[in-house]
Amino acid sequence: MLAYILRRLISIPFLLLGVASVSFLLSQMTKGDPLAALVPERMMSNPEIVAAVKAEWGLDQPLPIRYVRYLGNLLQGDMGTSFSTRRPVALDIAERLPATLELVIAAMIIGTFMGLALGLLSARFRGTIVDSVARIFALLGSSLPVFWSGLILLYVLSVQLRIVPGTGRLPPRVQPPPDVTGFYTIDALLAGNFPLFLQVLSHLALPAFVLGWAVTGIITRLVRSSLVEGLSLDYARTARAKGAPERIVLIRHALPNAMIPLLTILGFTFAYLITGAVLTEAIFSWPGIGSYAVRAAASLDYPAIGGVTIVGAVAFLLANLVTDIAYAWANPRIKVH
Amino acid sequence: MKHFKLKTGLAAAFVASTALVGQPASAQDSDTLVIARTLAVNSLDPSRAFCDTCQFYLTAVYETLVTLAPDNQSLVPNLAESWEVNDDFTEFTFKLKDATFADGSPVEASDVAWTFNRLKNVQASPSFLMEGLVSAEAVDAKTIKFTVEAPNSEFLNKVSAPYTGIINAEAAMAAGATDTAEDNAESWFLSNSAGSGPFTLESFSPDAELRLAKNDAYWGEAPGFNEVVVTEIKDAVSQAQALETGQVDIAMQIDPDTANSIRSPEIVTEVIPSYNFTYVGFIPAVDEVLTKEVRQALALAIDYEGMIDFTVGGNGVKQAAPIPNGFPGTADLTPRSQDVEKAKQMLADAGVSDLKMVAGYPNDNAYGVDFNIMMQKVQQDFSNVGVELELKPLTWAVWRDELGSGEWPVTAIYYAPDYYGSGQYVAYFSMIEGYPWAGRAGRDKPELVVNPKEAELYAKALAASGEEADAVYAELGQEMMDDAIIIPLVSPNLVLAYRDDIEGVRYSACCNLPLSEITRK
Repeated sequence: MLAYILRRLISIPFLLLGVASVSFLLSQMTKGDPLAALVPERMMSNPEIVAAVKAEWGLDQPLPIRYVRYLGNLLQGDMGTSFSTRRPVALDIAERLPATLELVIAAMIIGTFMGLALGLLSARFRGTIVDSVARIFALLGSSLPVFWSGLILLYVLSVQLRIVPGTGRLPPRVQPPPDVTGFYTIDALLAGNFPLFLQVLSHLALPAFVLGWAVTGIITRLVRSSLVEGLSLDYARTARAKGAPERIVLIRHALPNAMIPLLTILGFTFAYLITGAVLTEAIFSWPGIGSYAVRAAASLDYPAIGGVTIVGAVAFLLANLVTDIAYAWANPRIKVH
Repeated sequence: MKHFKLKTGLAAAFVASTALVGQPASAQDSDTLVIARTLAVNSLDPSRAFCDTCQFYLTAVYETLVTLAPDNQSLVPNLAESWEVNDDFTEFTFKLKDATFADGSPVEASDVAWTFNRLKNVQASPSFLMEGLVSAEAVDAKTIKFTVEAPNSEFLNKVSAPYTGIINAEAAMAAGATDTAEDNAESWFLSNSAGSGPFTLESFSPDAELRLAKNDAYWGEAPGFNEVVVTEIKDAVSQAQALETGQVDIAMQIDPDTANSIRSPEIVTEVIPSYNFTYVGFIPAVDEVLTKEVRQALALAIDYEGMIDFTVGGNGVKQAAPIPNGFPGTADLTPRSQDVEKAKQMLADAGVSDLKMVAGYPNDNAYGVDFNIMMQKVQQDFSNVGVELELKPLTWAVWRDELGSGEWPVTAIYYAPDYYGSGQYVAYFSMIEGYPWAGRAGRDKPELVVNPKEAELYAKALAASGEEADAVYAELGQEMMDDAIIIPLVSPNLVLAYRDDIEGVRYSACCNLPLSEITRK
């Protein structure tokens, strides 16, 4: 197992190099003016300013030279400087990634627990009102657009009822905790500031719920269908014949088997949300990597596009690896080589 | 019943997590001013910044020699206590006040000279303001003299633009800044400031938050807040929600429709005219059928009153020339009105029938105007005179690319002033050879658009001042209207939305939102 993990880890840098190359070349081939983020429309007719900016950002060089420079810098850990923020892309990502990870992890926890609970209830009380309610809740989660559910919940719970705070990771008047990990929850605890930790949690609750609700929908349906299928198989019948109550059949026998497809979905969903939580980030003014990716793409910010692509690729590669390992752990019949 | 415990527990967990919050922190009595807007900051370096947020940030942190009074027309002293201009508007001499930078060092003429040379030499976005500057010379510690190559009565207005805010040269040079093209100190300005204004930069996180701290060593009257936080909230509805909950004190980008939906009595909304406008631009070099007569006919086809209703629900005004209402020379200009029959006749006289064109424009929303809606109205109005307009909404980057390559003869975009003065509009929109829109519209066939009379008038305007200059700008405005290259569509009103315990909120033509004037009651 250890050798397998090492082999997979060693292959990651080579895969990333390929991803970075494809990303660089594709973004360069995309139609659009990369100076859009560097030179305002008012000045684009000024040849001196345009030439100076091109020279400053290396855009006056031929593509092969830019490509070699980009890869050379990348190998030294330099992702370049963002056209939009004028800061190193690595710094931008380091600032935004913890915000997204904190949101996505919270959403995954909420989504997984709710999905599992609803899936179990739905399977246990199949065909009853409990099943219908759980399935409708799950269906709404996966079908309601996040921009709609987010705005409505924000309006009702924050503006009307005032039981959740507004947008952002913290109220604007509150200083964030000293930066250690970038996760406000952890940093507030490390600073020993429990009231701040509670404020961070309160700001995290609604966006994590909205994002987690969408995850709930997927998981509920998956768990329910796996459990319903499992409960009709021989091993469930045998357990019942031995006198096991239905609850035990469900949780001890059917549920572990349902976990295997669930692991695949969880791994994939987690990786997807790293760069795919953009709508939730936009509605809740969450300064994460998703909104950074959208702005980078819209303004043809080549260095930022490259940086975000690498982050997304790392997320998928690691999620795949963890999923494969979890597979082997969850099902002893699966062996990794 | 045990299986219900999980469900009950989950519900309880969510309620508990939200109940931790209680009421959101109240804005009352806070010595922090919170403003909601889309930051969209391109830079915090005064010589490179060029954005709406930059305007009020630079105004708060750096100070200009002169600034615009609340009447949005008169220039008043800022760092300069007085100034003299020679008869032909080529030399401008300023006497400085005894002001200090945030580090306590005095503001001297050498700082001013260094700042202006840097602005000119780094060749960045606002460098155009210094076109024609021959020298910036420190006569003595408190006297600075500028010489420009040709008469320029608008130079005084230019030095009220926040991009000309004076930098503490010594502090900036210690951080590696220079006043040459080799300067690469932009990143330093993203986390530091070196100005003499009432605030200093505390921290900046792009697309998230800009924090300003009170300059405790400020030489003038202390501002009303210890801290200003500009927090990124993108859309108007979310900004309004944040305002209603007390999360923010001021929302800067609320459109009139959203303002009407605000029910809280604690929110003040003022709808005021702005100096921003959207326009259609014709590019005859792409389709030579767009002669002056045809362009004028198409301009008459547009229903301007309907356009204001359609795009901003009536919260806007018409604008005659590509110079904002209220700027020098616009008082006597009459905005166009729709005349479909005349437009049809003019097209027929020009021998144009079954005209089909493509309009490429940014798929954007600027100052509350949705460009898709605006261009659908143009499309509908053109169809009334038998002209078919195909709409091509584009991302900003693609629009910029295609504009440069001349793929369509019609476009649309917007403009906001950099300072109070009509010259900036002539320098951008007039059909003077070599000027931006003349080059864009004429490309390699300048004869299609160039209007030699405008060059003469512009030189005359820059050599005059007061009413004499206003009269020449009026002539220029009429010429630009007759060119019919730039057709202003709507000047949208601006909504000032803030909580009722805040006062001193106003819109400035140069500086957007002067933060130092805002206080809590």
